[in-house]
Amino acid sequence: MLYKNLQMATLRAMYRMYSRNDTYSNLICAPGKYSELRKVRKFVSTKAELFGFGADEANQIALAVDEACTNLIQHAYHLDKSKQFCVEVETSGRRFVVKILDDGEPFNPLDVNSPNMKKYLKEFRKGGLGIHLMKLVMDDIKYSPSSKSRPQNVLKLIKLLQ
Amino acid sequence: MTEKNKFSIMHRTNGEVDCLHLHGYLDALTAPELESSIDKLIKDGRKMILVNFRNLDYISSAGLGVFMAFIEDLRKSGGDIKLTEMNPKVFSVFDLLGFPMLFDIDKEDESALQKFANGDIKGDV
Repeated sequence: MLYKNLQMATLRAMYRMYSRNDTYSNLICAPGKYSELRKVRKFVSTKAELFGFGADEANQIALAVDEACTNLIQHAYHLDKSKQFCVEVETSGRRFVVKILDDGEPFNPLDVNSPNMKKYLKEFRKGGLGIHLMKLVMDDIKYSPSSKSRPQNVLKLIKLLQ
Repeated sequence: MTEKNKFSIMHRTNGEVDCLHLHGYLDALTAPELESSIDKLIKDGRKMILVNFRNLDYISSAGLGVFMAFIEDLRKSGGDIKLTEMNPKVFSVFDLLGFPMLFDIDKEDESALQKFANGDIKGDV
């Protein structure tokens, strides 16, 4: 219980610090609702373009982040807007890394197999394309569930500038 | 990325074909609006639906899911959803997932309307 309260307090503090519209900040936090997705996309695509990606690649990175956040809001937060998640951009060399931090139940998207799209379309299947899209547009994805030393789950979406 | 407007749909009828012009962005927030528009058309007995993307700036898998939700039933009833005038960014999302194998995606409304008139259905997956 204490641990859980600490997690929430950390996220709340991060949210208070970064919820202002700060152009120079590399972190944005938002409540668990779909109406926040647009703001998150804008944040990520702006950072990606500043880093040197063209508009199309910046759009793809924002799409991957949108898919991750949509899954998080729907499946981990169950549209509970009292919960917060944060998106942070880190760069080093050619690496553009978007970290998505949440305090929901851990869920590793890398555990989900990608569908065979030919079969998917032929059988008119529904849903389950978000994680596949994320994998298609990013160069690498890493996931670390929360631990005692780090209260949030962290999903890292990585794209290399060519 | 320019996402000026949230989302809106303009509906026009062209004979047997219902044309939905999308504006803004299509994501988990706005996809239910498109879903209910198409659902209403189908409940009204309409089955030829053209969706024009000229003014759509962005789509995520939630938006793609709307088309998968209806295509099977529409095709079974002899109808179709045809998609037109996508900008390259939006088309790239459809293309990444292979959707052009299943859906007619035309550069202009005219050719899609012609395909409706001829009864051409893309289904050769």
